[in-house]
Amino acid sequence: MRKKILIVVVILLAAVLLSGCTGSTTWFGLSVSGDVAYLANNTAVHAIDVKTGSELWSFSGEASGGFLSFGKSPKLFVVSPIVTEDGLVIIPSSGNDHILYAVDPRDIPDPAKPAPAITWKFADAKGHWIAEPLIVGDHLFAPNADGKIYVLDLADGQSVKQAVKVIEPFKNIEGQPGRLWAKPVTDGKRLYVTSLDHSVFAIDLETYEIVWHEDLGGAIPGSAVLGSDGMLYVGSYAKQLERFDPATGKHGPVLDAKGWIWGTPVVDGDNLYFGDVVSGVGGYFYSYNTKTGKLNSEPVKLDSEITASPLVLPDHILVATESGKIYAVNAEGSTLWFEPTKGKAYTTPVAADGEVLVSYIDSDYYLIALDNDGHKKWTFPAGK
Amino acid sequence: MKNPDNKPQPKQPELPQGFSTETLKTIAVIGLLVLAFTNWNAVIAVMVNAMILIYRIVGHNFGFAIILFTILIRVISWPLNAQQMKGATAMQEMQNDKEWQAIQKKYAKDREKLSQEQMRIYRERGINPFGSCLPTLIQFPILFALIPTITYAIGSTPLSLLRLSGYAYNFQNVASLLPLNSKFLWMDLGLPERTLLLGFSIPVLALIVGLTTYVQTKLTMPPAADPGANDQAAATSKMMGIYMPVMLFFFSLNYASGLAVYFITSNLLAIVQYAMMGRVNWRNLLPGGQKK
Repeated sequence: MRKKILIVVVILLAAVLLSGCTGSTTWFGLSVSGDVAYLANNTAVHAIDVKTGSELWSFSGEASGGFLSFGKSPKLFVVSPIVTEDGLVIIPSSGNDHILYAVDPRDIPDPAKPAPAITWKFADAKGHWIAEPLIVGDHLFAPNADGKIYVLDLADGQSVKQAVKVIEPFKNIEGQPGRLWAKPVTDGKRLYVTSLDHSVFAIDLETYEIVWHEDLGGAIPGSAVLGSDGMLYVGSYAKQLERFDPATGKHGPVLDAKGWIWGTPVVDGDNLYFGDVVSGVGGYFYSYNTKTGKLNSEPVKLDSEITASPLVLPDHILVATESGKIYAVNAEGSTLWFEPTKGKAYTTPVAADGEVLVSYIDSDYYLIALDNDGHKKWTFPAGK
Repeated sequence: MKNPDNKPQPKQPELPQGFSTETLKTIAVIGLLVLAFTNWNAVIAVMVNAMILIYRIVGHNFGFAIILFTILIRVISWPLNAQQMKGATAMQEMQNDKEWQAIQKKYAKDREKLSQEQMRIYRERGINPFGSCLPTLIQFPILFALIPTITYAIGSTPLSLLRLSGYAYNFQNVASLLPLNSKFLWMDLGLPERTLLLGFSIPVLALIVGLTTYVQTKLTMPPAADPGANDQAAATSKMMGIYMPVMLFFFSLNYASGLAVYFITSNLLAIVQYAMMGRVNWRNLLPGGQKK
C-alpha cells in the first residue's frame, strides 16, 4: 500500500513540477520612496533599506483560514507598492482575495516579527490587482482586472461619495469588462487609462464620466504617458507607438515597432524611451524624439525581450531584459556596458540615492543594488 | 503463403534473444516519454496553439474551447484508453484464475519464485503486465502540459501572458485576439471558482470535480476477485477511488477554474467511453455493490 501511495505522490509532484508551479507566479513589483525600497515578491512585500539592503519589515497579509479554507486563497503580491503623503503604504494583493491594503510602517505591533499594522483595507473588487494605483489629491484611483476603477478615500479606504463609486469602462465585443493592468496617468483634469482589452480612455476627474474612448487594435499592458509636447503616447500589442490628442482622443501611429510594446514609454525632455518584445528574437530599445517625430537612432537590438520600462539616469539609460542582462545605453543608441546576471529581469529598475535597484525572478536573490558603473553593492536576501 | 516465382524472400528481421514485441513497445513508450519531456516547451506550444485555434473556431469562448479540447484529447487517446481497459480487465481476470491463486498461496514466502511463476503465466496467456499502465504513461505528458497550457492561454498574470506570446505560432496573430475571453457561465476561468450560496462561499466546481472523479473511478472499477485472494488490482482501484477525487478536489480548489472544467469534462467522457465499451459497473455505485 505504501508503494502505491508513493506512486500517487510522485505523480502529483511531477505534475506540479512540470507545470512550472514551483517558479514565480509572475514578476515582482518594485518601488522606492526616500531611503526605502518596496519589493512585492509574490509571497510578501518587503521594505528594504536602500543603503544596506537589510529588511526593515515585511507584510504578507492577514492569516488565512489555511489550506482547508474554502473562501480564502493564497495571497499574491506583485504590484509595486506606493506611499501616500501621510506615510501609508498601499499594497494591493493580486491573490484571489482581491484585497487592497493600506499599512502604516510607523505602527509595528510586534518588533520581534516586524510587520506594519493594517490601517484600512478595501475588499470589494472582483478581480486581481495587477495595476499600480494612482494618488490624486486625497483620492486613490485603483484600476482592477474586473474592469473597474475604484475611487477610494485615502483616509479610510472607503469608496468615494457612494458605496460603489466606481467607473465602469466600456464592455468589449465579447461582453466582458476590460482588464485594467496599468497605472493611470493624469494631467490634473483628466485620468488616462489603458486597458488590456485594446482601449485607451479619458475620464473627467470632476464628474468621473468617460470623455472619450478609443480602440488601438491590440492589448495595452503598459500605461500611457504625457509627452513634453502635451500629447499622450501609448504603446500596444499592435506594434505601434500611438499619439493621442488628450483633449479630443484623436490619434494616429507615429512609429512602427518590431514587436509588442509592453512597458510604459519613459519621458526624458523631448525624448521617449521604450522597449519591445519580439517573440523568439529578443527585444529592441527605441529612442524617439517627440519634437522631430523621428527616432534618434536605429532601434538597438538587445539579447532578449524587454517588458520593463527603461530607467533614465544622468549619464545613460538602463534597460532590463528577460535574459537578466542590464544594458546601459545612451540616447544615441550606443551600448555602454551590460551586467550579466543569473535570473530574469522583467520589472522596471528604480534609482535610489546613487544606486540602481534591479529585481529578478528565478534567481538566487530578488533584488540587486548596482552602482553607476554596474557593479554590485548588495543583494536581497543578503549573502547571495 | 506460397512464393510463385520461387524468388528468395527478404528475411524478416529477428528480434534479439530475450526481446519480445512487448519489450519493444515498452522501449518505444519510454522513448516517446523521454522525447516529450526533453522537448517540453514544444509539447506545450503545440497544445497552446491547438487551444487558441479551437478558441477561434468556437467564437471566442474559452469554456467551450476547453471542452472541445478535452474531447479532442479523448478522441486522440481513445485507442490508448481502450488498450488500457483491455489490459486492466485481463489483469483483473487473472486475479480470479485458479492457477494464479494457487501460485500466490504456494510461493507466498518466496517472492522471487512467485515473480518467476507470475511471468511464466503472463507469457503463456499472452498478457502484458504493463498493458494497462503503458497507455497511461503516454498520456502523462498531455496531462502535465495541460496545466501550463490553460494557465498561459488564460493569461491572468503578466508572466503567463508573456509566456503565451512566446508559445503562440506566428500564423495565429494572437495580438489581435488577446486577452482571451475567460468568462464562461458564471465563472472566470482564470480564477478558482467560488459561488456564494446562503452567505457561504462554496467551491461548486471543485466539488463537482471530486464527485465526478469518484463516480468515474467507481463505475470503471472492475469487479473484485474472490474474497481472500491476493487482489492487488482491486486494492489499487480502491485506493485510487479514494485518493484521486480528494487530490483533484484540492487541485481544483486553488487552481484556475478552467482546469476544473477540463477535469469534469474528462471524467464524463471517460464514463461515456467505458459505457460504450460495455465496461461500466453501475452496481459499484450502490453500497456493497462491489462485492460479488
